[in-house]
Amino acid sequence: MHSKLLSFIQILRSRDVRISPAETLDAMDIVAVLGFSNRSFLHDGLSMALAKTPQEKATFSQCFEHFFKQELLDFSRDSDAPSERQPPDKDSVAAGEISDDDIASRPESADAVLENAAQQDAQLQALLDGNLMQNLMQNNRNELSLVLNQAGERVGLAQIQMFTQKGQYTRKILDELGEEHIRQAVIELEKNNSPALSQLQRYRDILREQVRDYVEREYLLHAEGKNKQFMDEILSKTRLNNLEHHYLHKVHDLVRKMAKKLAAKHSRKRRVSKRGQLNMSKTIRAGIANDGIMFKTYWKQVRKDKPQILAVCDVSGSVAAYAKFLLLFLYSLQDVLPKVRSFAFSSHLGEVSDYFVDYPVEKAIELINWKYGGATDYGNSLMDFASLALDDINSNTTVIILGDARNNNGDPKLEIMQSIYQRAKQVIWLNPESRKAWGTGDSDMLRYQSACHFTAECNNLRQLERIVDQLLKSTSVA
Amino acid sequence: MNTKDFPQLDSIEKIEQGFESFGYICSTQIATAVFLAFHLRKPILVEGPPGVGKTELAKTTSELLSLPLIRLQCYEGLDEAKALYEWKYGKQLLYTQVLKEKLGDLLQGAQGLAESVERLHQFGDIFYSPDFLEPRPLLKAMQQDKGAVLLIDEVDKSDYEFESLLLELLSDYQISIPEIGTVKAKTTPMVFLTSNNTRDLSDALKRRCLHLYIPFPTLELEERIIRSRVPDIDEVLRSQLVQFVHSLRQLDLKKNPAISETIDWARSLLLLHANKLDEDLIRTTLNVLLKFEDDISATEPELRSLISEATAQ
Repeated sequence: MHSKLLSFIQILRSRDVRISPAETLDAMDIVAVLGFSNRSFLHDGLSMALAKTPQEKATFSQCFEHFFKQELLDFSRDSDAPSERQPPDKDSVAAGEISDDDIASRPESADAVLENAAQQDAQLQALLDGNLMQNLMQNNRNELSLVLNQAGERVGLAQIQMFTQKGQYTRKILDELGEEHIRQAVIELEKNNSPALSQLQRYRDILREQVRDYVEREYLLHAEGKNKQFMDEILSKTRLNNLEHHYLHKVHDLVRKMAKKLAAKHSRKRRVSKRGQLNMSKTIRAGIANDGIMFKTYWKQVRKDKPQILAVCDVSGSVAAYAKFLLLFLYSLQDVLPKVRSFAFSSHLGEVSDYFVDYPVEKAIELINWKYGGATDYGNSLMDFASLALDDINSNTTVIILGDARNNNGDPKLEIMQSIYQRAKQVIWLNPESRKAWGTGDSDMLRYQSACHFTAECNNLRQLERIVDQLLKSTSVA
Repeated sequence: MNTKDFPQLDSIEKIEQGFESFGYICSTQIATAVFLAFHLRKPILVEGPPGVGKTELAKTTSELLSLPLIRLQCYEGLDEAKALYEWKYGKQLLYTQVLKEKLGDLLQGAQGLAESVERLHQFGDIFYSPDFLEPRPLLKAMQQDKGAVLLIDEVDKSDYEFESLLLELLSDYQISIPEIGTVKAKTTPMVFLTSNNTRDLSDALKRRCLHLYIPFPTLELEERIIRSRVPDIDEVLRSQLVQFVHSLRQLDLKKNPAISETIDWARSLLLLHANKLDEDLIRTTLNVLLKFEDDISATEPELRSLISEATAQ
């Protein structure tokens, strides 16, 4: 049963639930203590060891439902007969009762026709006596489900990745179960034009349907998580302005996930000792042990000021898509970067921080795009920026500028960039164009580059994540 | 902690009943957590909104097991001197003063400095022995003969550094004191950590604990809680007020009313001899449930529909 638990943990991991080997061991201990008899205890117990945030708990419950759902759907003729909801481990007497009921509920007693036919055909008789047919004829769902699971394990169904593999695996499992014997028997009966034909066909179809359902369920369980990881991988490498519209919400989720990862990594508050100010009480207290001699000194500590970030984004058509994601990223990092001010420009510039206070991030970005979009004028916008924020730039400030530096041959106003450069701790320019294109045509990138501490090409999420990571590193370390 | 010593924790049902006899009505999930924590000797990290009975759980467990409850309230800047142990500096100092005079007798006849130091060495580190150790909550919990229930309250309020300090305790039930060595727990204590989720706890800490999330209770559970805590209240009023609080939680509030607030409210209604919910009554007592002016003013226009919802049931 341990292997079952392990594959359950694999599935959870593929759905972003972080489970360490130590927690796996805990889960095994829990199973040892609680046993498998009570499903809800097992659910509660395992969720305590494996899922440790509310989101993870939700994922856990969902997967648990699917994974530990053993019972097959009722496949008796019409599922309105209540007598068929028999508990699984009734002995053969009870099973006999069920089939009696079945026969009673069907006037012509189709199984009897089948048995009559079998009496004239040894091969068919052997088939009907086999486990598979017995289970089918007696509606023995638990037994059948067990057989299905075992067959699934033998053909390695847990490896399924693509929906195109579903048919292949269904076939494999059917072979494993010995469905070809039924098929052959059907052909035989067809030749003889036997009355039992339709009944046997029906059982064959039931079996096929059950296997198909089973494969479908397992596919959802195993492949969905893997496919999502694959998708995320692709999305994070795609150029942001090439993203199809219907992937956007996925990208938003992805950005949030990345931001969360970065926030966790960098949210540690760092303390720096203030040299020169003695923490008198602590030093004396420590000194008492040495008869009042202060061997060890303690210094007063201060929390370092959180850095201020000014994000200046070009929201003209060519760059708008990138600006959106940069802002999304920065504002998803509120915990780590509380002091983000943002500015948007194309022909002129304005502060847009308030939009993010008043609206949710996605909505705010839409509004900004709508308000400030247009033809770009870097010189004019830089002037606006200087009058708005130049006085607030100090050695604690990081200025991030996102734009393609295509100035429509206007005045670049380099001197403003230089004064920003001199005042700020850091000026970062992110350009969605590839480095080779910088400086070509009307691009002023090479000129602006001289007034930046750091420039980077930034056109997919992977790059964006790396840059934000670097930004956080450089802002949090003194 | 020996499993046999505590028949109260034999099964999940027994724990539920035991808690109930102490007036703590819990879901099966909570009982399962206590059961597992006890049998696997693991700490429980309890998370959930404020006022759902996280701290109460530890208290009731200590009552159920008749073990002492040792509580450590976390706050920013909590350090090992306050959580683990401290040396009794005063006592050490006093003893050195007193013993100064004895020093002459001890060193009598010693030839030269080397021999004097030699003689002093024979006495070992008497001043850094357990006699001079002032145990703080964590160490105290390790020293209890029969075991204890250790409650580390609001661990999310402490600093990251403190979290790392807890790791040794949580995984091995031991504490390292540089001057003495490693102190192992005499009897493994039951450890509860609570968190209000003001920040994410580190993975290392979470990994060592069973994680229990206590949500707001279901309607039925909350009614049972009120019945147990405020037994005198009228049955109709009880179900009405619980229903009212539940619909209140559906609104978008700064702070949702928790179980403790429902209990307080039930008590105040009892005190006012109310026997059914009406608008005036609620308006005057709403401040028991809601702790923000904004929340109160946001609720008032909805009041009528909330009441009709609650009384319709």
